[in-house]
Amino acid sequence: MVALSDYLIISAALFSLGVIGLFLNRKNVITILMCIELMLLAVNLNLVAFSHFLNDLAGQIFVFFVLTVAASEVAVGLAILVAFYRTRRSIEVEDINTLQG
Amino acid sequence: MANVTFPFPFPEHLIALLPEMVVAVMAMFLLLFDLFIPKERKVLTAWLATATAIVAGVASLQVMGAGTMVAFYGMFVLDPFAVFSKVLICAGTALGIILSIDYMKDEANVGEYYVLMLFAMLGMMLMVSANNFITMYLGLELMALSVYVLVGYQRDTLRSSEAALKYFILGSLSSGMLLYGVTFLYGVSGSFDFKLIGDALADGGGSARAATLLGLVFVVAGLAFKVSMAPFHMWTPDAYEGAPTPITAFMSVAPKVAGFVIFIRILVDALPAVQQEAEMILIWMAVLTMAIGNLAAIAQRNIKRMLAYSTIGHVGFVMLGLIAGTSEGYAGILVYLSIYLFMTMGAFAIIILMRREGIQGELLDDFAGLSRARPGYALAMGLLLFSLAGIPFLGGFWAKYAVFIAAVQAGHVYLVLYALLFSAVGAFYYIRVVKYIYFDEARVAFNFNDSAVMQATVVVMTLVIVMLGLYPDPLMGLCASAVAGLI
Repeated sequence: MVALSDYLIISAALFSLGVIGLFLNRKNVITILMCIELMLLAVNLNLVAFSHFLNDLAGQIFVFFVLTVAASEVAVGLAILVAFYRTRRSIEVEDINTLQG
Repeated sequence: MANVTFPFPFPEHLIALLPEMVVAVMAMFLLLFDLFIPKERKVLTAWLATATAIVAGVASLQVMGAGTMVAFYGMFVLDPFAVFSKVLICAGTALGIILSIDYMKDEANVGEYYVLMLFAMLGMMLMVSANNFITMYLGLELMALSVYVLVGYQRDTLRSSEAALKYFILGSLSSGMLLYGVTFLYGVSGSFDFKLIGDALADGGGSARAATLLGLVFVVAGLAFKVSMAPFHMWTPDAYEGAPTPITAFMSVAPKVAGFVIFIRILVDALPAVQQEAEMILIWMAVLTMAIGNLAAIAQRNIKRMLAYSTIGHVGFVMLGLIAGTSEGYAGILVYLSIYLFMTMGAFAIIILMRREGIQGELLDDFAGLSRARPGYALAMGLLLFSLAGIPFLGGFWAKYAVFIAAVQAGHVYLVLYALLFSAVGAFYYIRVVKYIYFDEARVAFNFNDSAVMQATVVVMTLVIVMLGLYPDPLMGLCASAVAGLI
């Protein structure tokens, strides 16, 4: 039997990987998009686990909303990235440096 | 013939959503309509969008008539607090669109720009009426996704798309943190409804308390990103500098209103059980926010970047109202945000007017000698900057007064002294701009073309600020009655 805490630990690990990847990544913006996706998946895992152990459907319904929004978020993100690539000719994290700070 | 019933379970609730429906329908209509009008008459789209924003504001006031309404199984609430903030949001959006008309007229595909502003407004209107984390999240994302695109709208300029990219990355991170916090609150309480969460948390202890605190920290961090509280403010200066100037004005006002309103709702309804811990987190963040905002603004040479840091500083002052946690504090927040809306829109209107042949007009140097070329603009900008600095008796003074008094009454005397210190620091960099305007020699010729709409906006905003400075009582009374049913 898998306990609730096991799910929570897995999702905490996924979430931390996402956040750490976002900050330590010095290479490519696509990786950042993947890290954001990883964070949202950790959230979904959390929601489903709680929903199952609480016997309450609301959590699983929220998962559908999060999935939908995550999809549109990535669409917007990639579109912005394409616009950035067209002017900068690069998607390296180091090259996002025109604005100071 | 069979008796056909309306398949929708509660048609009577639709009336509560009327303003939102108007905005949604009009935004989709304008998206199509814009394709059929020739390039030189695109201004029509802008005026229709402005009209939509105004109608939505008026409709919110009209729908309110019957008192507080809770619709769709508690997903959506329409109380005076929501209505007041919707009116502010609609006013902010309408002004943002009006400021854009002249600025964006040379851009390609300008029609979608106004549609996106309407969608952002729709998201914010849903957000301030949310009584459930699901509704809140959807509203928040509708706002955020539209604003990301708006920031990067000048996609041929590098700084615009770079600002959008930075804002997008940090904004998504903040949504992720917010959601992660929400999952823990759900795990402890078994509900996404603010009030039900509040009730469930009231009798929690042990491991439930630990999970609640985890949820609190992540939710506060996620929301703090959206209203740019330090240490989650890093995106603000870049996004403000890179965005088209009308969007900078729009996003320094409307999303802040929505963010603070939902912050208040969550603190009051969902998290009263951990009020002490929330207060402690907010106090430290306010201390940091006021210091970073006001000190970093001094070093800026670009006025948009300076106003970005000044927004962070103002957010620090507004937080005093959250920390006070009383009706007076929350009313003070509404007073502050309303007055801030007029000051900021006026100041940005003048910055937009400064854009002239070949230069962006965003550097402090570009303002040098304005008083000799255009004494009218110089006077208006001077008054608006003095108001932002909180000089009595202009509007900005009463904004600060309202939150400071509330914080003192709640016993945070030292925090208010600290805030007073930093508003004195803040006065320095605002008044420095006045020095440029009145005492420096012009370096670049003032040959801008005045548009009647922009001039009217500047005049109206300045007059409102002066009027509010002389008669703040009606606004204060309105805000006090807006928060009356909240606690």
